[in-house]
Amino acid sequence: MSPNAKRALFAILAAAGVLALVGVMLGGIVSKTPFVPKPEVHLPPQPVLAADAQEAEEAHKLPDRFIITNTLLSSWIATGLLLLLFWLGARGVKDNQAPRGIANMVEAVVETMYGFVEGIAGRDNTRKFFPLFATIFIFVTFNAWLGLLPIYPTLGFIEDGEVVRHLLRPAGTDLNMPLAIAVVSFVFVEFWGIRSVGLGYFGKFFRLGSLLKGQVIDFFVGILELISEFIRLVSFTFRLFGNMTAGEILLLVFTFLLPFSFPLLFYGLELLVGLIQGLIFSGLTLVFVTLAIQPHGGEGEHGGH
Amino acid sequence: MGELGFHWQSLLVYLVNFTILLVFLYLLAYKPILRVLDQRSLRIKDSLEQAERVQKEAAERQAAFELQLTEARRANQAQFEEAQKRIAQYEREQKERADKLVGEELTKARSEIQRERDLAIDEVRAHFGELAITAAERIVRRSLDAPAHREVIDQVLQEGGAMGGRRS
Repeated sequence: MSPNAKRALFAILAAAGVLALVGVMLGGIVSKTPFVPKPEVHLPPQPVLAADAQEAEEAHKLPDRFIITNTLLSSWIATGLLLLLFWLGARGVKDNQAPRGIANMVEAVVETMYGFVEGIAGRDNTRKFFPLFATIFIFVTFNAWLGLLPIYPTLGFIEDGEVVRHLLRPAGTDLNMPLAIAVVSFVFVEFWGIRSVGLGYFGKFFRLGSLLKGQVIDFFVGILELISEFIRLVSFTFRLFGNMTAGEILLLVFTFLLPFSFPLLFYGLELLVGLIQGLIFSGLTLVFVTLAIQPHGGEGEHGGH
Repeated sequence: MGELGFHWQSLLVYLVNFTILLVFLYLLAYKPILRVLDQRSLRIKDSLEQAERVQKEAAERQAAFELQLTEARRANQAQFEEAQKRIAQYEREQKERADKLVGEELTKARSEIQRERDLAIDEVRAHFGELAITAAERIVRRSLDAPAHREVIDQVLQEGGAMGGRRS
C-alpha cells in the first residue's frame, strides 16, 4: 500500500471513529429511541409546491399537468451546475498552456471519455457519438453523486415537527428521468442505424426473404430483434431507476438503523454505483449505436443486450 | 406505472432538460475542448515530425562530419608521415654534417698538436745540443779533478734545467 493510500485510509478510519464517538455522545448509536426519524419510501417524486402536494395527496397520484417535483428540481440544479462547471473548465483549456484547476479536471474527463468512445466506436464515428455518450455519462453520474449530499435527505417542508416533503431528491430515483434518457438513447440508435444503413436497416427486423424461403425461425428471430429494440427502453429505464432507488432506500434505512459512522460504507458503495450506472447507460448506448451502423448481413444478425 | 411515478409531463420536461444540457454542453464544452485537443494533437504531431526531421538531418550531418573527419585524419596522417620523414632526413643530414665538421676539427687539432710537439722536441734537442757544447767547452778549457768535474756537470744541468723551466 502506498503512503498516500495509507494516509487516506487512516483519515477515513479517523473520521469514522470521530463520527462513532459523536454518535455515542449524542445518544444516536446506543440509544433505544431512534435518533433519525423513521424513513418513508415514496416511489413517485413529491411536488415541491404545497398546492400541488395537497392535490397529489388527495388524488393519490401526481396532478395531470406540469408540476415541479423534488427530482425535477434536483435535475435542474444538476444541469445548472454541470453547465457552469464545464463552461468554466472549457474556458481554461488553452492550446499553448497546461490546464489547471477545474480546466484540468474537465479536460481530463472529456479526454478520457473521448478515448473510451474512440476505442469502442472507432475513430471515424467518435465525433458523432461522443456528445451523447458524454452527456449521458456525466448527467447520470453527477445526479447520483449529487444525491449523496447530506442536504438531500434533510432539506424539506416540515409539518408537526417532521419533514413531510423533501425539497430535493436524486433525479435517478424518478422513473421519468431514466425513461427520458432511454428515449433519447433509443432515438439516437435508430437514427444512426437508418442513416448509416438506409432502409435496409429494417431488414434485420423484417426478414421476409427468410419467410419466403421457408426459414420461419429466422423470420421470428427478426421479430424478436424488433421487440428487443423496444425492450431496451424498459431495461435502460428500470436498471437505472432500480439501482438509484435501491441505493437511496439503503442509505435511508441504514442511517435510521445505525446512524453516524456505519452508513459511510454505503456512501462509498453508492459513489461506485453512481459511476457504474453512468458508465453502463452511456456504454450500452454506445455499443448499440455501434452495432446499429454496421452493414446488415441479413441472416444471423443479432442485437446484444 | 402511475404508482412508480410515471408522469408524462415530467418525462417531457426531462427530455427538454436533457436536450438542453446536451446542446449547451456541446457548444460550451465539448466543441471548444475538442478543438483545443485537436490543435494540440496537430501541434504534437508537427513537433514529432519536426523532431524526426531534425534527427534525420542531425544523423546526416554527423555522417558527413565523420566522413570529413576520417578524410582529415587520413590527410593529417600522410602529412605527419611526410613531416617525420623530413625530420629524420634533416636529422641525418645534420648529424652527417656535424660528424664531418668534428672529424675535420679533430684532424686539424691533431695535426696542430703534432706540429707543436715536433717543434718542442726540435727546440729541446737544439737546446740540449747547445748545452752539451757549452759543457764540452768548459771541460776542455779547464783540467779538472774529479770533484771539479762533478761540479761542472751539475752546473750545466742546473742551467739546462733553469732554461727548460723558463721555456715551459
